[in-house]
Amino acid sequence: MNKSDTRLKRIMTAPFSVWMAIFVIVPIGLVLYYAFTSSEGGFTLENIASIWEYRGTYLISIELALVATVICLLMAYPLAYSISKMKARRQQTMVLLVMLPMWMNFLIRTYAWMTILEDTGLINTFIKFLLSLVGYEFEGFTMINTNGAIVLGMVYNFLPYMVLPIYTVLTKIDRSVIEAARDLGAGGMDVFTRVILPQSVPGIISGITMVFVPAVSTFVISKLLGGGMTYLIGDIIENYFLGNTGEVNYNVGAALSLVLMVLILISMGIMNHFDEDAETNGGGLF
Amino acid sequence: MANNIIDLKNISVSFDGEQILKNMNLRIEDKEFLTLLGPSGCGKTTTLRIIAGFLQPDSGDVIFDGKLINGVPAHKRQVNTIFQRYALFTHLNVFENIAFGLRIRKTPEKEIKTAVSEMLELVNLKGFETRDINSLSGGQQQRVAIARALVVKPRVLLLDEPLGALDLKLRKDMQNELKNIQQRLGITFIYVTHDQEEALSMSDKIVVMNNGEIQQIGTPIDIYNEPVNAFVADFIGESNIVDGIMREDFVVDFSGNTFKCLDKGFGKNEAVDVVVRPEDVDVVPYDEGMLKGTVTSVTFKGVHFEIIVDIGGFKWMIQSTDEQFVGDNIGLYIEPDAIHIMKKSEYSGLYGDFSSYSEEFDELSNADAEEEENE
Repeated sequence: MNKSDTRLKRIMTAPFSVWMAIFVIVPIGLVLYYAFTSSEGGFTLENIASIWEYRGTYLISIELALVATVICLLMAYPLAYSISKMKARRQQTMVLLVMLPMWMNFLIRTYAWMTILEDTGLINTFIKFLLSLVGYEFEGFTMINTNGAIVLGMVYNFLPYMVLPIYTVLTKIDRSVIEAARDLGAGGMDVFTRVILPQSVPGIISGITMVFVPAVSTFVISKLLGGGMTYLIGDIIENYFLGNTGEVNYNVGAALSLVLMVLILISMGIMNHFDEDAETNGGGLF
Repeated sequence: MANNIIDLKNISVSFDGEQILKNMNLRIEDKEFLTLLGPSGCGKTTTLRIIAGFLQPDSGDVIFDGKLINGVPAHKRQVNTIFQRYALFTHLNVFENIAFGLRIRKTPEKEIKTAVSEMLELVNLKGFETRDINSLSGGQQQRVAIARALVVKPRVLLLDEPLGALDLKLRKDMQNELKNIQQRLGITFIYVTHDQEEALSMSDKIVVMNNGEIQQIGTPIDIYNEPVNAFVADFIGESNIVDGIMREDFVVDFSGNTFKCLDKGFGKNEAVDVVVRPEDVDVVPYDEGMLKGTVTSVTFKGVHFEIIVDIGGFKWMIQSTDEQFVGDNIGLYIEPDAIHIMKKSEYSGLYGDFSSYSEEFDELSNADAEEEENE
């Protein structure tokens, strides 16, 4: 590589570098600063220590995000697989349909689920109406404000992020490799478990990362669909920064964020470890 | 006929209304090295895919070892394929790639180990067991593909232009190696290529195809020396193809002269195509020539000179070890056994004149002729 090449690259990446510096590096620095200082500004480990109190919240956040991720994976893989088997034009339409919800605002979509799941919402009203026809009085299911509703919200909102990377990897698998497997005696099941599944691991890994990370840190979904019954770690952090339910405390909020960030980094590290073998196959997102 | 391992009967295939194979009949003998040779789009790969089971013919029967196998899926056939771009499993290492077919068959681990190391030895890749597929060169990947297919002991190995992606030197080496492997294992190889040299040097039998039809089946020597029509004569090697008239048995007129030849059985004064290979023409002094012409181009090819001679407006190609010069008037002498007579065919007049010859153009004009045929 010669000098002018490097210079050109520097100029091309400058806007992004500046952006990253201002909106990523500096905020992380601020989080670190607040996490390790008291409200008077002196160094302290008290914020970090106080987080032990929220271990239950961390656990439930991770648990719900994991459940949502697993459901997404179980739904997305068969979907992505069958889309990848369709004719080219049909594939485009299906991918468009998968992405269609993402064109609408995230908040509006989640509000819509509220009106569907409420005690007097669409589902309950409909069931009540049906049962009243046969003369039965029904009180309705409790769906909103449960952990189930939160997981539903996560799955609904993040499903496309699981479908797309898996679909992309599946379409990239060389047809002749599948033919080679059949040629060597592999029936449909063997072809899938021995060739297609292992070759789509990079897509699964990026899908899991792209669903788990936003799910574990969400606060909107739990607030709207959990109705304050279940606090996720995102809600607690929001409360500390905005003071919705008590005093504003940037320091504890920052400490909570920091720990969450570390947890996410650790889980991504584990993921990438799985990905290493498959990395050379290309793949990944889009 | 007794030892046919594969019998294709009246096979027809079309895609999107275009007919790829037209009522094809082919018998393949056990343990032979058979090559399907033809330009791209001639139907040779389609034929291979029908035998492999990746493609069902629209009509016709595929018979393997006396049994009809039309509906039998690829994974239940006793044939294996070497794919054009290797199609290796990149998520597995060399050992696991070769072991793949054995694992499917639930072979015991110990036997797998022995079989894989035998195969690695066969293809000269000892010690490569744990190597990553992506770290191998094209030639090495091709060897892994060969080992992977042979380890399951197929009766027939199908090879779809397996050397196309390799450079010339490596290709020559692999040609010898493949031929050796075929002879050592004593199994049938069906080899698809568009490279006539490859076909001539490796095959026991060549099937020349064009536009979904078999043009000629024969040994390399037959195909070269006795092409049945202008297409085969032109596709295999270089040929001067001129219009001639068969006066009687062993006597033919062309280019304004009468020649002795070794062919018979044509009608009296029947119009025919006459083929003369460039290397069979001798250059003699102008006055002694059976044909007389002017040199219009000379190219040095290493072993010989390629000389284009204008004879009455028709340009001949001659290969000679003696240098000639543009503008020279020379005579040509042709032995009777160098003259090959063919019946007129749909390809008459399309090939064999070197008027606007260049190697690149040769390729192009082959393609053009194909398109015309398709229309």
